[in-house]
Amino acid sequence: MAKTKRLCTLLCRLMALGATVSAAIVMATSHEKANFYSVSFEAKYSHTPAFKYFMIANAIVSVYGVLVLFLPSESLLWRLVVALDVVFTMLLTSSISAALAIAQVGKHGNSYAGWLPICGQVPNYCGHVKGALAAGFIGVILYLLLILYSIHSVLDPLLLRKN
Amino acid sequence: MALETERKTEAIFISSPAQKQKDRILLLLRLVAFFATASATIVMALNKQTNTLVVATIGNNPIKASLTAKFQHTPAFVFFVVANSMASFHNLLILVVEIVGHKIDYKGLRLAIIAILDMLIVVLAAAGDGAAVFMAELGKNGNSHARWNKICDKFQTFCDHGSGALIASFVGLILLLIINIISIAKLFNPKSYNTI
Repeated sequence: MAKTKRLCTLLCRLMALGATVSAAIVMATSHEKANFYSVSFEAKYSHTPAFKYFMIANAIVSVYGVLVLFLPSESLLWRLVVALDVVFTMLLTSSISAALAIAQVGKHGNSYAGWLPICGQVPNYCGHVKGALAAGFIGVILYLLLILYSIHSVLDPLLLRKN
Repeated sequence: MALETERKTEAIFISSPAQKQKDRILLLLRLVAFFATASATIVMALNKQTNTLVVATIGNNPIKASLTAKFQHTPAFVFFVVANSMASFHNLLILVVEIVGHKIDYKGLRLAIIAILDMLIVVLAAAGDGAAVFMAELGKNGNSHARWNKICDKFQTFCDHGSGALIASFVGLILLLIINIISIAKLFNPKSYNTI
């Protein structure tokens, strides 16, 4: 039973690690130059604070994911891991939400503020960023499942403990 | 065996005065978090500013157009209002349950259910805050690379109210996170509670 639990947790954490690492890397390599009526557009992830935040948050969570994988099975630090999981899931969701908000403005523009959409001029950049956001979203869902699973796996032996 | 099953279905909370003090502090924190998220919702929901700008001049008559900045124009702010209203409703519900329904329990899982619900609400509120903060930053500084102009110089009151709502929401989020971590820590020390 404990071995199945350990295997399940390991697998879930490995997938979440893969998702966050790929989100950070894909966002960091998004770059495109375009020429639009002799005005040159350069689109890079570092021009937008929201995308920078997204990349940094995913990088931090990836480092945390790597460190947690090396934790021995019955250590007392797993209790800290449950609390830290909540904090890092919160960080991840806020980063994906911010990046999605700015990407929505980039794709549809905002007519009330006079902001034109830019996806028409730099379509490859837009597709690249969409891929990064999709990977980040998968990472968020996996981390949400992880915090519920951590609570479940830590709670069961406690609830059935006799006085 | 019968005694054990009896104990499993009964949840007796034996709390010392120190534990009662800690519970009251937790309740107070939750009350403050409720007020913070509720005020953030209300301030952002009532955020509206109308400005008349001179658009063009024909001869000697300036043509004025009145532009309105509302929170509904931006999906990020709509999400912010919705997320904060759900967070304040959750806070209110848990407050009522803790004050009035002190003995309500479900198979000894009361603490676990509150902790899990708190986790989900913390994640939701963090998402709402993140989206609104970056949208507000875009409105304040614009983005020269995408040729998006800033709007805060024309709609100063809108921006001010928005930042006030954001600060209140962040205070509520931090308090909610602290409450959640304390609830999780309580789950690990069942010595203070005689469950099962």
